[in-house]
This record gives sequence, structure tokens and C-alpha cells, in this order.
Amino acid sequence: MQRQAYNQPPAHSPPLHHPVPQHVSTVPQLRSPPPPQPPSQPQSGYGYAGQQGVPAQGGGGYGSTMQPPFGNFMNDPAAQMGLQFGRSAMDAGQHYMEQNLGRYVSVSALKHYFNVSNSYVVSKLSIVLFPWWHKPWSRQQRLSNNGQDGYYLPPREDVNSPDMYIPMMAIVTYILLSTLLAGLRGAFHPELLGYTATLALVVLALELAIIKLGTFLLNITSSSQLLDLIAYSGYKFVGVIISLLLSELLAHLGIGGSWVSWVVFLYVFSANAFFLLRSLRYVLLPDQGQGGVGGSAAGYTVARSQRNKRTQFLFVYSYVVQFGFMLWLSRV
Amino acid sequence: MVLFGFGGLIYVSVLLINAVAILSEDRFLARIGWTSAAAEPGFGGQRDDASVKARLVQFISSVRTLMRIPLMFINTILIVYLIILG
Repeated sequence: MQRQAYNQPPAHSPPLHHPVPQHVSTVPQLRSPPPPQPPSQPQSGYGYAGQQGVPAQGGGGYGSTMQPPFGNFMNDPAAQMGLQFGRSAMDAGQHYMEQNLGRYVSVSALKHYFNVSNSYVVSKLSIVLFPWWHKPWSRQQRLSNNGQDGYYLPPREDVNSPDMYIPMMAIVTYILLSTLLAGLRGAFHPELLGYTATLALVVLALELAIIKLGTFLLNITSSSQLLDLIAYSGYKFVGVIISLLLSELLAHLGIGGSWVSWVVFLYVFSANAFFLLRSLRYVLLPDQGQGGVGGSAAGYTVARSQRNKRTQFLFVYSYVVQFGFMLWLSRV
Repeated sequence: MVLFGFGGLIYVSVLLINAVAILSEDRFLARIGWTSAAAEPGFGGQRDDASVKARLVQFISSVRTLMRIPLMFINTILIVYLIILG
């Protein structure tokens, strides 16, 4: 009940006496519409209700200790000061994070890769697992409004655009799945999670190094981003997951011997190789496309032997290298 | 343990980079013809800069130039680490 130290509630205070719920604060800058307040409320009360950046503990802690009407909380100077301090601390922390994180990782570029929709995920997974059903493989570009040359459409609008959502989910699922399978075999120890994570990261890094080395040695000037290549490397984890799952399931059901898991693995490997062949064609052989996005200059002719070498590199990378890596990943 | 499996990887990669860095340029590479001066000027004074071998030679020489000094530090750290931890 109310303590006598507080002022009397204003005559026309709102009938609700609990504080405004703070649980919708997913976007810190979002301002919720102010709760219905009588005009005699002090200004700071309005500011408190409109501010969504205050952590929820402040509101929750207040709500659990006392039950005064909403307006009386603002008259307590200690709580007000605590509020101000919390707000400024949050702002400072956010500012610091934005400053420092933006220097190493370009967040807006990452956001482009996570701009996916459900239908995109489903169709992309079906492309990775059954790539011969898919017809047009080129990424779509769109000229931006302010006249600079075009940029690629986000994954939400273009199925051929690589994203980072599927690879990230696939890597995490692979780590958990392989640890789970090891546990089912009775060979689990907690460092296995770390080992598998390291293994996945090493495979990614090695693939990236091979592609970068290949583009340097073969003198390929392509404007593909680093995250694109990471995304393309991550799609093979989908295949590895499917292969592990199916071989484990079929082994439990008792169908066939070890050749079943080999068949599944070979199918998944060939699907992934075909997918990479088609997708990386636009990265590694940029002159065969319709003119890349600012990549190949006009009239850039490549010698025939160079083209052959690049095609050979693409083939070797898609098939031999991927075979090695997928085999390595599948040895659980 | 062992740095989550990174330990072996770091070890092997440092050994490989060391191997590239200590190749003697005038005694070994010149014999095979893998130095940058070995590519004699072609048909019109145009050096063959874009073939795979030329770029490989460039790559090796750049790795050597870049990694000489950091390798000293990395090797020292690794030696101390191995002496202390066996």
C-alpha cells in the first residue's frame, strides 16, 4: 500500500496503477506511444514512459517493491537519478560497441547476408541438395538510384544470392550433430565440441586460402566479397549433415551395410560439387558472365590457355578439394 | 586442451612458413630459376608477368620478405612455450 511519504496522487490519475510494461524493447530507439496520462503529470514521467532503452530490470524492480500509482515514482529523486545513470550507461555502451565493432566487421554488409525469408531458405536448401533442377544461376543486380553501378539483390529477392544464415545454422548444427553422434556411440567428452568447432573453422579457413591463392596465381580479378566465399564454403555443411544423419539412421534401421553411407555421401558430394561449380563460375571466371559488377573492364580479353587453366582450377576445386574436405568432415 | 586443436595446426603452419623463409635465394632458387630476375625479357621487352610460374615466384618472394621479422618473434615465443611446457 502507499507509504505516507509520497505525495497524494493527482485527482485524475489513471485507473491502472502498475507501471508501463517494458517488455517490447527489442529496438532501443523505438518509442512506444505514451500511456494515457493526465496532463498534470510531471515531464519526467512522460520521458520515462517514452524511453524504451531503459533495461527492463529498472521497471521490474520498481514494480515489485511498491504499489503506488504510476505518477508517484517520478517524484522520488533517487530513483530518477538511478534512471538517468542507467540510461546514460546504456547509451555509452551502445556507442562504444558501434564504434569499435564497426571498425572490424562491417555490420551493414553482414545485414545484407542475413536478409532472408522462409521461402528463400527452403528453395536454397533444395538447390543445394538437388542442383540440377535449378535453371538460371546468375545473380541479379539492380542499378541503384544514385547512379553508381549496380549492386546485388539481397537473398530475400534473389535465390541465387549467397546468404550467411544457412551456412551459420549448418555449421552449428554440424557441430552439435557430430557431438551427439559421438555421444550415442559412447565416445563423448566435452572437448569434442571445441575440437569439432575448430575443425569446421579450419576447413573454412583452408578453403578460403585455397580460393584466394587460386585467384592470385591465376590472375583472376573478380569483385567477389570475402563473405560470399565464406558463404559458398558453408553450404557444404548442409550436405555433410544430411549424409551423417542418413547414414546413422539407416545404420540403426539395419538397412544395408557400410556401402549405403558411401552412396549417400557420394550423392551429397556430387550435389555440392555441381552447386559450387555453377555458383563459383561467376566468381572465378568473371569474363564468362554478362560482364561482372565493376569487375572486368571493357575489352578485357583472356588468353585461351588462361581460360583453360581457370576452368581446370574450378573443376579441381569443386571436385577434388571438396571431396577431401567433405570426407574429412564426415569422419565423426 | 592444446588450444582446442589449434595447437597442431599452428605448429605445422609455422614450420611450413619457416621452410619457405629460409630457402636461400642465390644458392637454391637461382639454380632452379625461380627468382624474379630469371625471367629474361621476352619478345619486346615485355616481361611475362601473368603466368602461373611468375606469380608463384612473386608469391614466394613476397612471403619471404613479409614474414622474416614476424617469424622471428613467433619462433621465439614457440621456443619459450615448448621449453616451459615440454
